[in-house]
Amino acid sequence: MREKSVGKRKENVLAKFFLKSIGNERWQHITIPIFLIFLSFFAASIIILALGKNPLGAFYNLLQGVGILPKPSYAAYKSMLTDFLSLLNYMTPMVFASLAVSIALKGGLFNIGVSGQMLLAGFIASITVGYSSLSRIVAKPLVLAIGIIAGGILGGLIGFLKYKFNINEVVSSIMFNYIIQYVLSFFIHSYYIDPVSRQSKYIADTARLTLVNVEMFGLKMDISIGFVIAIILAIALKVFFHKSRLGFEIKAVGANPKGAKYAGINVGRTMILTMVLSGVFSGLAGVTYYLGYFASIQPKVLPSVGFDAIAVALLGNTNPYGIIGASFIISIIDRGSTYMSSMAGVRKEIASVITGMILLFTACTAYIQHKIRDNKDKLSYMARKEAEE
Amino acid sequence: MIDTLIIDGLSFALPLFIMAIGGIYSERSGITNLALEGLQGFGAFFGALWAVTISYYFDIPIQKLYYLALLLSMVGGMLFSMIHALLCIKFKANQVISGVVINILSMALTTFLTTQINIVAFGELSDKFQIGTSVRFTIPGLSKLPVLGAAFKNLYPFEIVILFIALIAAYVLNKTGFGLRLRACGDNPHSVDAAGVDVYKVQFKAVLISGALSGLAGICYTYSILTHFSPSIYMGYGYLSIAALIFGNWKILPTLGACLIFGFARSGGYVLGQILKMPSTFSDLIMTLPYVLTLLLLIFFSKSNRPPRALGEIYDKGKR
Repeated sequence: MREKSVGKRKENVLAKFFLKSIGNERWQHITIPIFLIFLSFFAASIIILALGKNPLGAFYNLLQGVGILPKPSYAAYKSMLTDFLSLLNYMTPMVFASLAVSIALKGGLFNIGVSGQMLLAGFIASITVGYSSLSRIVAKPLVLAIGIIAGGILGGLIGFLKYKFNINEVVSSIMFNYIIQYVLSFFIHSYYIDPVSRQSKYIADTARLTLVNVEMFGLKMDISIGFVIAIILAIALKVFFHKSRLGFEIKAVGANPKGAKYAGINVGRTMILTMVLSGVFSGLAGVTYYLGYFASIQPKVLPSVGFDAIAVALLGNTNPYGIIGASFIISIIDRGSTYMSSMAGVRKEIASVITGMILLFTACTAYIQHKIRDNKDKLSYMARKEAEE
Repeated sequence: MIDTLIIDGLSFALPLFIMAIGGIYSERSGITNLALEGLQGFGAFFGALWAVTISYYFDIPIQKLYYLALLLSMVGGMLFSMIHALLCIKFKANQVISGVVINILSMALTTFLTTQINIVAFGELSDKFQIGTSVRFTIPGLSKLPVLGAAFKNLYPFEIVILFIALIAAYVLNKTGFGLRLRACGDNPHSVDAAGVDVYKVQFKAVLISGALSGLAGICYTYSILTHFSPSIYMGYGYLSIAALIFGNWKILPTLGACLIFGFARSGGYVLGQILKMPSTFSDLIMTLPYVLTLLLLIFFSKSNRPPRALGEIYDKGKR
């Protein structure tokens, strides 16, 4: 009898510790995602262990690969700093794409067509500006503008179809993904193919949104202009949703379309504008991906960033700052996996499995919050009862 | 020409149809199921994996394991669909998000496992399971019919299996008590609850059925279009079947029509390409036909659609 109660108390201590560490509702939007990431890495460790490899070593390699921990040796002109800068370069399209997903989510829409919007924007910018001989100062802003316009139009079209014809935005954007993928593959194969690389021809460096091989401190680094813009726009978006009228309307329609309608908000117009805005960010993701991180387009392949962005947006709780943090973590997993697989012998594909698991756990966030609240109530009830005794 | 059009069109449309029936089951019970894409992939992976393993270790020719593979892929799809059911019903996750999550996870997991298992178990570096092509057969008398006879020529055995299962599924959904309760769950779950039926259980079953049927569709594509299992199975057929069932207004017979249109649009495009002797780069344009058609059809038919009333809503017993 006594033993049993001791065991129970021990359990309580554990539960209390757990609740103390992530139970505070003020911090839950940060603590729960961190807990979920740990959970996913824990699950991944089990897989890696089952393969007979050392998970801690593998995760150490993961961090080495992205310039957070030092590698044992570096090639000429390379160092931890260059690795880290290329991580930021890789991360830029992901931040934009996740912001795009989060805008749509806030408005109650699900933009799974980010990949297609990225591809379209990247392609149009490549063939118009990328293959031209415009000067640096004209070309770079023009690339951004084309990305914004192309993405915005396609996003708006999806919103329009939803509003006017009642077509589920998920289905229509997936159809657009495939149509864009195949049609652009046709154009690339017919007109812009590089016979050696089997990709579209490389664009001019003047149009690229990443400054490549900048020589500084005896290193050659890639500096992403897009990253700075992404951070600025993330902050702007936070302000937009908090302070502006349209931002409020988008949130209202997302929370309760009927209520928004009775409050006098034009639901159809807001829906379309939400998708336009979401498309604009997808377009920016596209140009920073195809004219920044890469300088050419691989035909018939949708960028996986557009799908990972869904994970990132959810992990970041659709909050712009959260998204920057979440992009950072997911980029580390994606980007570090190459080095990890070469050093630890764990297959590169494990990276997307980890991302998938993070995503899976994130989908349960509401349930976890609910459970925490439940247990907290139970604990406080028990504490009160004990005090009474 | 017309023969290939019908033969290829049918062998593409029928797996799409069975997957769409799975979707109808799930959605009529009130659970949005965008996970069909991932479920068919995982089902195909599961079936192919066991077929390859059994034939490798027990030295059985892989052609003989055909029906076993079909069955196992249904089991695999069902197992994976449990995640969707748990997330949507027990953990009350957003159903659209859960579906997309499952698609991403399924793609990542099967790609990883296929390469890993190939190395560990078979000692080769490949992201494919070779399961061979299916045998085909022709029904003697009927195939002699003019034009329509092509529908009975060069059939895959799975087409018969699918038709058989589809008939049962249609009967169960429309004529039995279980089907009635299932449909009621999608329209008014509270009334079902008041009648003393466990809504969660009905929905859980419906999602599992959709998983099994999607898994079957997946292995059919591995046997017909791909002839091996590899990540290239994620071609968006799952989403296409969702479009088909929306277009079919969540009813089985009109959905069959939609699937046939997709199938014939696809095979028709290829035949057209051959007739006009287009260069191979044009095949990319032809590939877009089913998708363009889907969009156009949705524009015309979505307006009059009537989805199940409680579709996508998280059922909460205490809510009135």
